[in-house]
Amino acid sequence: MAPARGTCYMIRQMSKAAPMPAVRGLTSRDGLTAWLLVAPAAVCIVFLFVVPIGYVLLLSVTDPTVSLDHYRRLLTVPLYTNVMLNTFKTSFIVTLACLVLGYPLAYVMARRNDAVAIILLIVVGLSFWTGFVVRTYAWLVILGNKGPVAATYALAGWGKPPQLLFTSFSSTLGMTHVLLPYMVLALYGVMRKIDPSYLRAAESLGARPFGAFRLVFLPLSLPGVVNGCVLVFTMCLGFYITPILLGTPKDMMISQLISQQIEDLLAWGFASAIAVVLLASTLVLLGIYNRFAGLDRLWG
Amino acid sequence: MNATMTAMARHVPLLLASVVALFLVAPLAIIVPMSFSKAVSFEFPPPGYWTGYYAQYFASHSWLEATANSFIIAFGSMVFTLIAALPAAFGFVRYRFRGKSVLNLLMMLPLIVPAVVSALGYYSFLSPMRLVGTHAGMIIAHSVLSIPVAFLVIAAALKGFDRNLERAAMSAGAGPLRTFLWVTLPVLRPGILVGALFAFLHSFNEAVVAIFIAGRDASTLPKKMFESIRLESDPVIAVVSSLLTGAVLLGVLVSLFFRQGNAQRSANAA
Repeated sequence: MAPARGTCYMIRQMSKAAPMPAVRGLTSRDGLTAWLLVAPAAVCIVFLFVVPIGYVLLLSVTDPTVSLDHYRRLLTVPLYTNVMLNTFKTSFIVTLACLVLGYPLAYVMARRNDAVAIILLIVVGLSFWTGFVVRTYAWLVILGNKGPVAATYALAGWGKPPQLLFTSFSSTLGMTHVLLPYMVLALYGVMRKIDPSYLRAAESLGARPFGAFRLVFLPLSLPGVVNGCVLVFTMCLGFYITPILLGTPKDMMISQLISQQIEDLLAWGFASAIAVVLLASTLVLLGIYNRFAGLDRLWG
Repeated sequence: MNATMTAMARHVPLLLASVVALFLVAPLAIIVPMSFSKAVSFEFPPPGYWTGYYAQYFASHSWLEATANSFIIAFGSMVFTLIAALPAAFGFVRYRFRGKSVLNLLMMLPLIVPAVVSALGYYSFLSPMRLVGTHAGMIIAHSVLSIPVAFLVIAAALKGFDRNLERAAMSAGAGPLRTFLWVTLPVLRPGILVGALFAFLHSFNEAVVAIFIAGRDASTLPKKMFESIRLESDPVIAVVSSLLTGAVLLGVLVSLFFRQGNAQRSANAA
């Protein structure tokens, strides 16, 4: 028995010394073992996740009476269709803003290999792991009527600043800030794998730096752009915390409507119907993505 | 002229990246002076500094209880998530079986479904069982929500695992169990630890499901903060936010330090 222990230790050390490429094509075909390994997670998700979601579906057509009324109201009353349209519009703006802001940041992080890259990685990691509530709270302070923006206005003698908080502007700004790290990490994941020698090759063949970027780097980074946009857009559609704390009831998003229906009106059935429409929109978008790219790449 | 312009153009990406990085980090940086502020409501720059609100946090029963709840629930769901996700990762990476692609979608479902939808579902699902407002209910919900997170991390680590190491151990006379415990698990340990950490943080930061099902007795920090912000402008929120941001910064620095150390070691070995 003892030799095996020593050997195991040596093998462990080998794993550190010589990282070998994983050998492909080694998956076995032992169906039963596989099912036994996967079963705990699959059973958990079916009984403790799919079933609860089924409750939402059920509630949407049975509360207070069995009917499809909620869906009819949702799709015909202008108040509610406007909420849907506004949610898609806002999500589109937030996604675009995240892409424009995130691309240069991810580019510098991926292309550099120095202290700057590490500092940027710390910044992105810090904001990625700080909770949504904390970051939303920061915007409440910044845009509030005693915040730094108001103080700057007073200092410059411009009088009272425009109403920033509890507008669709503050909500969009907050969501962009909260979702930006997701975009940056999705872009960075793809950009880091682009071999710098391609760019050097392009430049040695006479391309200017910008030309090399436009003709080589940009096309190669497009999968990251798609990943980041799909991720941010779908997260934004159902975003709960930030629109509720920073937004206005005048320009509601889907999540605000759900919260209003539950908290003010106790209309669980109608809230469930809204949730089902939200879920369906998300699934359709991700279904399209899955067809073309394969869903497990999304969180690469 | 042209040369200086090209030189300047080279710095444009860095300049843009710095501005964006500042946009990301400045709001977090503002919270820290806020937490030492004497102001009763949200006010910046602060009218004066003291540590009174820190004292208030450490003396407040409800804030401390929410903190304890957050840790208990995050730890509990981390354990259950690992129990489910670790074998599943082995099953998916090492075996081919019927229905694999459908099961893979099933595994990702908790990450796909918007949090509000899950929250509504858990509320209707858990209330008949009297699990709304309990630690057990929160741990159930958060465990399931974290499964895909831990699964993705561990599966990625497993894909990079060189199975020749296992063959070497077996040919040296180690049985399958010994090989698993002494070679496979130790080599995969960093990946498993990261998966566990992600599961913990996923639960610790999760707000939406908590808002719906945590009730008063199992209220977590994100839920309590959300409600304090909506109902009153409790200055202790700034204290909690600063403490959380500080903890995250520490975590990011430590993980970076370890990664750098590992890279150094493998570079030296090679």
